[in-house]
Amino acid sequence: MHAPFTMDGLRRGARAGLPLGGAIFVYGLAFGLVAVQTQLSLAQALATSAAVYSGSAQLAAANLIQSGQAALVTLFVTVLLMNARYIMFGAALHPWLSQASPPRAWASLLLLGDANWLFVMRAIEKGEQDRAFLVGTGLPMFAGWMLGTGLGVLSGQILPDPHTLAADLMLPAFAASMMAGMLRHRAALLPAILGAGVAVAVFELAGTGWAIIAAGLAGAFAAAAIWRPVGPGAR
Amino acid sequence: MAPFPVLLLVMAAAALFCRYAGYIAMRYLPKSPRIEAALRATPVSVMAGIAAIAVVQGGVTDAVALAAAVGLTFLLGNDVAAALLAVALAAGLRYLTGGGA
Repeated sequence: MHAPFTMDGLRRGARAGLPLGGAIFVYGLAFGLVAVQTQLSLAQALATSAAVYSGSAQLAAANLIQSGQAALVTLFVTVLLMNARYIMFGAALHPWLSQASPPRAWASLLLLGDANWLFVMRAIEKGEQDRAFLVGTGLPMFAGWMLGTGLGVLSGQILPDPHTLAADLMLPAFAASMMAGMLRHRAALLPAILGAGVAVAVFELAGTGWAIIAAGLAGAFAAAAIWRPVGPGAR
Repeated sequence: MAPFPVLLLVMAAAALFCRYAGYIAMRYLPKSPRIEAALRATPVSVMAGIAAIAVVQGGVTDAVALAAAVGLTFLLGNDVAAALLAVALAAGLRYLTGGGA
């Protein structure tokens, strides 16, 4: 039988995703503004935000399109590289999400973003069983992204500064506090230390996207290396 | 340059590939507790990574705010409340320091 997928789980997820929806709205405004400069119409900007649904990838793609050098292969590879971390996100979700019915699982992945991946993985660790939680967290974020994109295009210039509002710190703040919550388990300590160190090193060389992938891989390899078939000896 | 609908299709195809490739690949990987342990460890590494990058990029006010997020989580036992308070603190600190890092 499939795992539960209920309105209750959806509601709980939506409540968890709400604060991030506000921060993502501000970033949607920023993309909307860039879309105007790229000569995209309102409908085109909204279609891009709905179909790609990734701030970093869309900004990079808009840059290419604006420069007039958007050869299809270049565009494809740019979005692929900017979003490569989603390959890791999807793999990590598989053991949990694959217990939902396939159409629901596949639809859920469409609403996946950096922030709600973290939320859902944290909820899984706490024992979340309802697979609708993922869609729930995604809804306010997606709504914020679309609303922000639309208003950004329409306003064209009035742009609150994400820095002054500290909206740019919303994801790091959630990451830091969720990490703190997970550090109660000693097994999380090594992946956390490695993740921080590797992310900073790779960030200097290759930017945020690759830093996130490298951090995740470092933690995964460390956990695989120290895993032992018998339960943890220290209790 | 190709017309917009073609550009959109190409962008969407690349984005969808990333969304689904890892999920699908897992079907063909043998189920093993070692791999599951590895996957379970990725979020805490990514969280630490995101926070560490923000500290490196943001400077003192951001570091103070994120340290507060960690401390408040232990204090309040509620990570959502801790994160929101930390963001409010960061906004306040930036206002007081004239928006600088």
